[in-house]
Amino acid sequence: MPVKVQYKAKGKLLEKYPKVEICMQCNTCALVDPAIYANDFSPTNTFINNVLSAAEPEKNPNIWLCVSCHKCEEICPYEVKPVEVIEALKAEAFEKGYAHEAVREEIRQVLTTGYAFPVSAYMNRVRGNFGLKPIEERNVADLDKIATKTGLKAKVVGGK
Amino acid sequence: MSRKYAFFKGCFVPVRLPWVEKSTYRTLGNLGITLVDVNEFTCCPEPVGVGIVDNLTWLAIAARNLAVAEEQNLDIITVCNGCTYTLRNTIHKLDEDKELKDKVNEIIADTGHSYKGKAKVYHFIEVLRDDVGIEKVKNSVKRPLSGLTIAAHTGCHILSPKEVMKFDNPFDPTTLDEFIAALGAKPADYDMKTLCCGWALMTYGAREGAYRLLGDKLGNIKDSGADCLAVICPQCFYQFDMGQFMASRKDIPQYNLPVFFYLQLLDLAMGASLEEVGYTYHKIQNLNVVSKLEKR
Repeated sequence: MPVKVQYKAKGKLLEKYPKVEICMQCNTCALVDPAIYANDFSPTNTFINNVLSAAEPEKNPNIWLCVSCHKCEEICPYEVKPVEVIEALKAEAFEKGYAHEAVREEIRQVLTTGYAFPVSAYMNRVRGNFGLKPIEERNVADLDKIATKTGLKAKVVGGK
Repeated sequence: MSRKYAFFKGCFVPVRLPWVEKSTYRTLGNLGITLVDVNEFTCCPEPVGVGIVDNLTWLAIAARNLAVAEEQNLDIITVCNGCTYTLRNTIHKLDEDKELKDKVNEIIADTGHSYKGKAKVYHFIEVLRDDVGIEKVKNSVKRPLSGLTIAAHTGCHILSPKEVMKFDNPFDPTTLDEFIAALGAKPADYDMKTLCCGWALMTYGAREGAYRLLGDKLGNIKDSGADCLAVICPQCFYQFDMGQFMASRKDIPQYNLPVFFYLQLLDLAMGASLEEVGYTYHKIQNLNVVSKLEKR
């Protein structure tokens, strides 16, 4: 008889994600979950359990270890959908200023250059060796218009 | 499907792996595919960092990219699992929810674009499978990669969610193995085929965990008798190449398993040299693999 997990954050997460309660820590997801390689987890405290049971789940730095590979939800025998919960927690964390610094920097990079990764003079040199043109400038003005309208620009520029 | 595509280069290939961009032009050109350069494309945007924390901006920027392609009456070809994931998930979400589509169109209206949902998105491996066809790929091989055993790593975001990506079995994909065999090489049989490369662990605070993952996966690949890896996503490439280079300084054994983007392997099989496919820029170098390739 499986024992139900008593989540500290249960009330909060359950309101939005009733399927969280179905999770009975069967650990099937841990078979395919890349995040279990990180330090904090054990057979009785898997990544998914850790994320679903944190007291203030949006402040849990472990949520950023999820790469949205969807393996946990595809293997879950009980249709718990951890990915949508984790993604919503990340959005909430970002909103409240708890996002991992790398995320904030990446967004800034995308909005100001149109590229998610930094462009360098070195790589333009390498591109030349392959007969390729230097990296082209992208339409940052359009990205600025979009991010202004959605409010993301203000959050990145004026964020905590 | 068409034989002319809008070339969605993404970010990582042009910025970090230009030799892959070069092999893409050369190999797909040889197979009769026309790649149209589209300067108006931006970052897809990257799904794990940007996409998740601000869903609406993610969808809006992606919708603008899709609109740019449809204005030219072209479907999109990608060279990255992440770009494919972003663009295909956007199509899925917007086509399913008219209200959301209208909202996104309202957001991108100032850019002069409008998403209608006409352009389709294909990863290059899907173009090879469903447009070009594996027989034509086989027939394009001039110097088979015989003697090499190659471990296929398909990567995560082209496989899942399977209802959206509709590419292959997320727990036992075989497409890439078939395309490795098409080049005359032997696909390696190993258990950890669908284990992630560990990019997010490396980037977001669990470097030791990422190294343990690399140690496990590369060890499993080595045990299978593989000479090298084949990937179809630039982040996977970098994690296995640069990541392996970093991890094997002290954290994991020296497996010395070179990593190739599938189109580099196709390029080699079509007759390109190791220099031409950019191997000299790889962090992991292995003389045994080089000698097998040169003895063909």
